[in-house]
Amino acid sequence: MDFFFSLFSDPVGFWNSHTLLIAQIGINSMLATSMFLVLYSGQLSLAAPGFMAIGAYTSVLMDLHWHTPLPLNIAAGVVVAGVVGFLVGLPVLRLRGVFLAIATIGFIEALRLGVILNVPITGEGLGLKNPHADPLGGVPIVLLSLAVVVFIVWRLTKGRLGNAWSAIRQDELASLSQGINVARYKMIAFVLSALIAAYAGGLEAHLNFFVDPGDSQYGVTRAVQVLTFAVLGGSGFVLGPVVGALIITLLPYIFEAAGDYINILAGAFLILVIVFRPQGIVGRGGLALVRPAWWPRARVSAVSPG
Amino acid sequence: MLFRLDDVQRHFGGVHAVDGVSLEVEQGSIQGLIGPNGAGKTTLVNVTTGYTRMQHGRAFLESDELTGLPAHRIAALGVARTFQNIRLFKDLTAVENVLIGMHTRFRDDTPAQLATLPFFRRGEQQRIREARQLLESVGLPESDANRHAATLPYGAQRRLEIARALALRPRLLILDEPAAGMNPSEKQGIRELIERLNADGLTILLIDHDMRLVMGVCKRVAVLNFGKKIADGTPSEVSTDATVIKAYLGTGGEREVASAPGASGVDEETAVEEAAFARRPAREPEKAILDVRDLTVSYGAVVAVRGASFRVAAGEVLALIGANGAGKSTILNTLSGLVRPESGSAVFDGLDLTSAKASSIVRHGLVQVPEGREILARQTVLENLELATWARRDGAATRRDIESVLKRFGILGERRHLSAGSLSGGEQQMLAIARGLLAKPRLLLLDEPSLGLAPQMVDEVFRAIEEIHQDGTTILLVEQNALRALAIADRAYVIETGRILLSGSGDELLHNPAVRRAYLGG
Repeated sequence: MDFFFSLFSDPVGFWNSHTLLIAQIGINSMLATSMFLVLYSGQLSLAAPGFMAIGAYTSVLMDLHWHTPLPLNIAAGVVVAGVVGFLVGLPVLRLRGVFLAIATIGFIEALRLGVILNVPITGEGLGLKNPHADPLGGVPIVLLSLAVVVFIVWRLTKGRLGNAWSAIRQDELASLSQGINVARYKMIAFVLSALIAAYAGGLEAHLNFFVDPGDSQYGVTRAVQVLTFAVLGGSGFVLGPVVGALIITLLPYIFEAAGDYINILAGAFLILVIVFRPQGIVGRGGLALVRPAWWPRARVSAVSPG
Repeated sequence: MLFRLDDVQRHFGGVHAVDGVSLEVEQGSIQGLIGPNGAGKTTLVNVTTGYTRMQHGRAFLESDELTGLPAHRIAALGVARTFQNIRLFKDLTAVENVLIGMHTRFRDDTPAQLATLPFFRRGEQQRIREARQLLESVGLPESDANRHAATLPYGAQRRLEIARALALRPRLLILDEPAAGMNPSEKQGIRELIERLNADGLTILLIDHDMRLVMGVCKRVAVLNFGKKIADGTPSEVSTDATVIKAYLGTGGEREVASAPGASGVDEETAVEEAAFARRPAREPEKAILDVRDLTVSYGAVVAVRGASFRVAAGEVLALIGANGAGKSTILNTLSGLVRPESGSAVFDGLDLTSAKASSIVRHGLVQVPEGREILARQTVLENLELATWARRDGAATRRDIESVLKRFGILGERRHLSAGSLSGGEQQMLAIARGLLAKPRLLLLDEPSLGLAPQMVDEVFRAIEEIHQDGTTILLVEQNALRALAIADRAYVIETGRILLSGSGDELLHNPAVRRAYLGG
């Protein structure tokens, strides 16, 4: 509890001693917002780490080879990810639910194992050195970016675009009957989420002297972590996934007193949250032991009044 | 002419769901579309609105061709619809649902949303006001506007769906069973709403099973059966049309139809089953094996059965007949313990069916053959039957029973090693009945055994039912095919909107014009 105590007793000291942690929370929160966008439009896409990798590698490689300035590098990474997102989305967004999830896992694994670990320019399995990284100076940019991204996404969900996403999430067929071009709006959400993930990826690379192509960075492990942010925090409101990212990134500190048992306690905590708040921490309704929608229940099939 | 369909066809595999239908809807009219269960009405709507591609034919809205357009384009051109099973955006409020309906009529407002300030969002305020007005115009109270759609009462959800469709400013509004599951006063309200919308100039295509509603508000009515249009005309023309009556009241009882009022000119192709004339008196039995009193069943806000009382004596065939949506299947599901009643009692041979578990009801000898058969399509015939006996421990006797039902339904015996899905509809129905018999029923509930079957197959299935009855099994039969059911029933009850309308011997009811009215209104 020293950790949280110092947050209040000595904020300046806290900031100085935990800068990297704060930056990581910011990056994770942006990824969580990217995840929020696809979930809000009813798409279980796990592609975020792939777009992160595109943003990170594009930005670092441009810096290494062309010595271009950081804003341009990150912008280029975002654009490339947007284009890739569009091309990947064309075939993949015809899928729904768990099939979309598997297809997007295919995408990130193909990108990581097939491209990043195989092409000489990315350093293959060894990763890339990033001499111009600025771990400490990047933090304010990260936090400012997070605020801007969250604001934009929040406003988008409130307008015509957000209404269309919400409608698609709840009932695609009924959305079509209201004249909503379902394929187009899904694509918009998918590409926007790719842009945000790539931006977060570019920023994250700027915080580290080394770009690590490992599974926990750009692979399935990261994808599942990002999904957990959204599910734990709640995907009905923009701030839900951000809260999820905050809590999960802080789990080691929250349970630091548990010592060796920390993973057991953290796991139990996650299970309890999901059992008592299946809609996520941020969301409608109070604490309840709610039966999730997919839970099998005694139901009479084919009950038609007649 | 506002809307026109030209020789539209849609097949699913070998099933001709819509088979060459042409239809015209005049500007400013209310066109009705009716037909028995499985006639292809919903498929026709899905084809028209672009959910399902038509394989042949064309569709026009005034001068705009709709053929082959994606669903969202057709909606944007001005064809709005509601759904048979309400499809609202449940987690959104009523106002938000209507706002989504306005999607096509407004430009993207992303810059205004990003600017956040109220000044930039005046358009949004305007839309919200319009949405509230629409809600008011369909009769949704102000207090419901900000409630989540899922929490609204059933009737209000139906109205909200109509408001959402109206938000498109449609040229044609397709209402798919807007009055389904409503009580008479709610139905009256919907009827007034439809008439008011039409008076304001809206063209409406109305699909409903409630004949009183359709015949009451429509100028013209088209009738579908087995994917084909069999009649198109004014309500009075259609409700006395011999082909229509045959489609609704069923085949196999043509002689009776001919004698029913307003049904002249029917061919006397097939002789009616001999059994139809071997009548017993139609008194309420003194000693009943099944005694149902004041049974009321609801699904949430929808009351499906309203105080039904009837008795079944041992050894008789009792038929419950009535149009789609009358509450027949609900009664059977309640007797089997699958649905719990709100009030009333049902006692089968000393067992209280309203509280007994479904499994103990079956063990007590009350067995249901469900609507739609529900056989395991990938398993063989034999496996289907074996699975039905898995709880039994008497191996030899079980095998004997299986052999004996396979012998009774000879065709199943021949095909015992074929997968059940490869059987014809009639054979599947026999398999479902055979499976029911393995539970050694004393009372067998049959739910729509003729559903979707060709006339010859209907004959065979009913012959099998007769045989089972002669072996001493009491049968409670639910059928839309009224004439066929009445021909083998000792007694029957006619059900309309959850109430028992009349009862009598099968013979009496066959000649009672009220039966036709229960199906076709008037």
